[in-house]
Amino acid sequence: MLKQLLQKKHSILPGFGLTLGFTLFYLGLIVLVPLSTIFLKTLGLSVQQIWAIATEPRLVASYKLSLGASLAAAALNAVFGLIVAWVLVRYQFPGKKIIDGLVDLPFALPTAVAGITLTTLFAPNGWIGQYFAAAGIKVAFSPLGVVIALTFISLPFVVRMVQPILQSLDQEVEEAAACLGANRWQTFVKIIFPELLPALLTGFALAFARALGEYGSVVFISGNMPMQTEITPLLIMIKLEQYDYTGASVVAAVMLVASFLLLFLINILQWWSSTRHA
Amino acid sequence: MSIELAGIHKQFGSFAALKNINLTVPTGELVALLGPSGSGKTTLLRIIAGLEQADQGSILFHGQDTSHYEVQQRQVGFVFQHYALFRHMTVFENVAFGLNVRPKNLRPSAKVIEEKVHQLLSLVRLDGFAGRYPSQLSGGQRQRVALARALAVEPQVLLLDEPFGALDAKVRKELRRWLRQLHDELHITSVFVTHDQEEALDVADRIVILNQGQIEQMGTPEEVYEQPKNAFVYNFLGNVNLFRGRIQQGRVRIGSLEIEAPEYAHHDDSGSIISYVRPYNLEIERSGHGQEYFRAKIVHIRAVGPTAFLELKREDTAELIEAELLKERYRELNLKIGETVFVKPKDLKIFLEDYCI
Repeated sequence: MLKQLLQKKHSILPGFGLTLGFTLFYLGLIVLVPLSTIFLKTLGLSVQQIWAIATEPRLVASYKLSLGASLAAAALNAVFGLIVAWVLVRYQFPGKKIIDGLVDLPFALPTAVAGITLTTLFAPNGWIGQYFAAAGIKVAFSPLGVVIALTFISLPFVVRMVQPILQSLDQEVEEAAACLGANRWQTFVKIIFPELLPALLTGFALAFARALGEYGSVVFISGNMPMQTEITPLLIMIKLEQYDYTGASVVAAVMLVASFLLLFLINILQWWSSTRHA
Repeated sequence: MSIELAGIHKQFGSFAALKNINLTVPTGELVALLGPSGSGKTTLLRIIAGLEQADQGSILFHGQDTSHYEVQQRQVGFVFQHYALFRHMTVFENVAFGLNVRPKNLRPSAKVIEEKVHQLLSLVRLDGFAGRYPSQLSGGQRQRVALARALAVEPQVLLLDEPFGALDAKVRKELRRWLRQLHDELHITSVFVTHDQEEALDVADRIVILNQGQIEQMGTPEEVYEQPKNAFVYNFLGNVNLFRGRIQQGRVRIGSLEIEAPEYAHHDDSGSIISYVRPYNLEIERSGHGQEYFRAKIVHIRAVGPTAFLELKREDTAELIEAELLKERYRELNLKIGETVFVKPKDLKIFLEDYCI
């Protein structure tokens, strides 16, 4: 077996062994080792103990908020990010470059700055928050505020994933659809959207993953009320501050498994949408 | 369904792509728009389809002005050079697309659509390919799917933009014969764009030769080939040898060659001319004298197939020319590279320089 591998025909591209070795080493060092420590930490506990920690009511409430708000933020960005990408690719207007640059701003801004700014704006006495307050809607210090913060920080993903695909779409395909009698809406739904779907799903998955792990901006706007506006990463911090390292790693492991499963699901969806017309 | 174009003008910035085009395509004909790249032929086709708007002029389908109709209303079938198939749809879905997007009250039932699609697929000889995706087909097959898709909506006119341009030579030849057959069966008014004169001469009922946004000549393949209106048309349709010379009182002088040109007998001024001879109109002799021959040295011989192609270098002007002669004649003369022969041009087409491009 080993002999067979060694005698394998040389590939035309050189350096396969070296680069693969480096890739595995790098990923192992940067990703796998830290992640496996999380699971190692939990090994001292029995299954019942782990289950007891993982299903604390306060934690369960935080899972719901973290998952729900992240999904909501990713979904919002899937819709509006698609529109932003569409506008940036399809139309010419003054200031287009500036808007294009603005899209990346949430990447560059320190998340704490984003959190403080959003809180100031959306607090009941803030610029925007006061109007919501007048209408009886609480934005900051409520789950809604969490969704807003997560939407803000995960905005670039969908835009940046969809943009290049939209740019590379063949104009003739749309013209062909028009010649066959399809109106613009039908052309979008039946021709353009299916082409964008894989990129849109990737963007959605990235935005979701980013939102799930977000800490800095959310802790300011959420108000961190137990059972109401606590996100799971915050609870990990709280446990760490109480020197409860095993508890923290159990919660982290739960997060890890949950996000892995969700990303896996989205990847399957994405694979299905891109290979069914292979 | 006839197509009439009147005074079509199209400008792209400062570039006039089409200048005052007047053209009638009679019902049921297959017309080729032939021209070099940049001649405006594709733009003209896109204007007929409604994919592009003319700046001036009108387009009439069967006497009815459609200039301001949207693409969707024109009922044209359009076939693109690069197929433009919907790659996330199967062949079946591609062909059915035009029927499926119709408003509910005009849409045939699923069963009727299915029958129609299978009928079309067998027309384009792709039965059994309904479930495939475009990426699983060859170029020729894709273009046939594109054609079936265009025909599914029963268009009034069929427009094809270099339909075989992206295919290799053999498939191209096969498909254009087949297109001709298909046209003879369906009798749908068709316009196709090509830059390949052979393709146009082979397939079309009528050829429209475009150059720099203007129509140079239109007519049947025989007409445009045998009676080219000007130097451009003659040059564009098939291989030619070009000779530059001067004319004086009906006598043309090209290097050492001197020929009578009775059609210019009354042309008093002396002036420059351009003359063209097709390679098969050059007679090769071992010996010759007089002013109707010029001497040339054989540079290259390609004797594959029923005709032999010679590349010759004129001794008087050192220009390279091409000659074509039958295999028998070539054997009879027993020609070798490096030998000097006498060449006599027959059927020289002479155009005064100011009529040339």
